[in-house]
Amino acid sequence: MDRFENAADGGDARREMSPSDPAASAAVFLEGDARADTTVMTREVVMEYRMGMAVIRALDGIDLTIPTGEYLSIMGPSGSGKTTLFNVIGGLAKPTAGSVFIDEIDVAQLDAGELAWLRCRKIGYIFQSYNIVKVMTALENVTLPMLFAGVPPDEARDRGADILRRVGLADRLLHTPRELSGGQQQRVAIARAFANRPAIILADEPTANLDLRTGEEIIHLMKEMNREQGVTVICSTHDHKMLDISDRIVWMKDGRIDKLARREDVAIEVSHMAEK
Amino acid sequence: MKAPLETHPKPEAWQIGRLRLRPRLVFAMAVNSLRLRISRTLLTVLTIATASAFLIFLLTLPAQADPAEREGWLLMLGLCLLVSMAGVLNTMLMSITQRYREIGTIKCLGALDGFVLGSVMVEAALLGLVGAGLGLLAGTLLALGLGVAEFGGAAFAHLRFDGFAWKAGLALLTGLLLTTLGAALPAWIASKMPPMEAMRGEK
Ligand SMILES: Nc1ncnc2c1ncn2[C@@H]1O[C@H](COP(=O)(O)OP(=O)(O)OP(=O)(O)O)[C@@H](O)[C@H]1O
Ligand SMILES: [Mg+2]
Repeated sequence: MDRFENAADGGDARREMSPSDPAASAAVFLEGDARADTTVMTREVVMEYRMGMAVIRALDGIDLTIPTGEYLSIMGPSGSGKTTLFNVIGGLAKPTAGSVFIDEIDVAQLDAGELAWLRCRKIGYIFQSYNIVKVMTALENVTLPMLFAGVPPDEARDRGADILRRVGLADRLLHTPRELSGGQQQRVAIARAFANRPAIILADEPTANLDLRTGEEIIHLMKEMNREQGVTVICSTHDHKMLDISDRIVWMKDGRIDKLARREDVAIEVSHMAEK
Repeated sequence: MKAPLETHPKPEAWQIGRLRLRPRLVFAMAVNSLRLRISRTLLTVLTIATASAFLIFLLTLPAQADPAEREGWLLMLGLCLLVSMAGVLNTMLMSITQRYREIGTIKCLGALDGFVLGSVMVEAALLGLVGAGLGLLAGTLLALGLGVAEFGGAAFAHLRFDGFAWKAGLALLTGLLLTTLGAALPAWIASKMPPMEAMRGEK
């Protein structure tokens, strides 16, 4: 039975879309049919910023393969390139070199309309500074991506209210960001990110501006959504406590992947560190 | 060792789609934006209305016999237009640059470049047209009122209402150009900007 389902799932059609053959390297991290279960893959991604004469290499050859449904945490000191990596994965910035595949589709090949579709339907963004549209209510913020996606306004409103209820803001639907606390704004942002049932959530230090407890609530909310909906979550954080709920953790340093580990292995290391 | 993904439900396969521009959403966004920034909206409308009222007032005023007097009026009109143009340009420019972050955000949510440009331009056009329309009304009434006060029932013989449609069109066009010209460049820059740059621009 299982085997049949897997066979039916093996996206042969999708396999042909992938221009190069990244599956070989994907297999390093995954057993079995890696490609069908891989949501994000970056290959030798380099990102350079030109500042006058100087060139800053914010990403220096990033190879990452992120399986579907994984909760991946990204850690690293300030300036190590976390935000830049998010922007590149999320199709918000074009890398100087290398490729990013979202479900085997090379993001660089997409035209503007397709890129907008990807941002709208397949990726949910959560930012450190919430970025709730100030002149809109919580509900309007959540319905906007649905309207972009072509959901009829009535349905968008119902669904938006449902999601806001889900994140614990049932009585704040018509509030504007000014009338919401930071934690509440971040909840709106989470609801908005999940509005179109995306495949990937990109959360760049979503808890950095929140107090410890609110931050934990937010992270747990994301983890719950990750479990319930099987959405892949990529989340950068400075907080070691957040690692507990991750499947894997990536450490970045100077635009490179310094270390990559499963949570089980890290737990040992952390306790080891605590002993010292 | 169990791979974490085995515990998750498998999302269905998908194929890339393409978002298209939704004119009704563009319009709704523009109207919403005007409504929510109502004080700025009213101020801009007032500025444009003044210029347009003055324009239409001068155009319907009885022809001045004295060329010096006519030149004086024209000079004043020119000044008035110039001042209001500077004001409106400045307001529109500010209004757009203040919105870079918001623009970056909605692009992350799926707004196309055309959506950003379109909604800003529709907003500017509405401002211009409504302002000029109100000014048109006010200017005409003013000319009529002054005419009746001076000439009584014979006012219509003196006021130049010939080609009024053309003059009204000119006033509306002036209002439209004032706002759209002011908004076009910053809106175009904002719409072309990658979302991340837009967001890092303004804190
Ligand atoms: N738009 C830009 N223009 C120029 N340099 C940039 C730009 N964005 C990032 N950088 C540089 O790229 C490097 C990586 O920045 P990035 O924001 O990705 O780091 P980060 O890991 O997110 O840091 P933090 O933890 O402080 O958010 C930094 O040296 C930064 O100065
Ligand atoms: Mg950052």
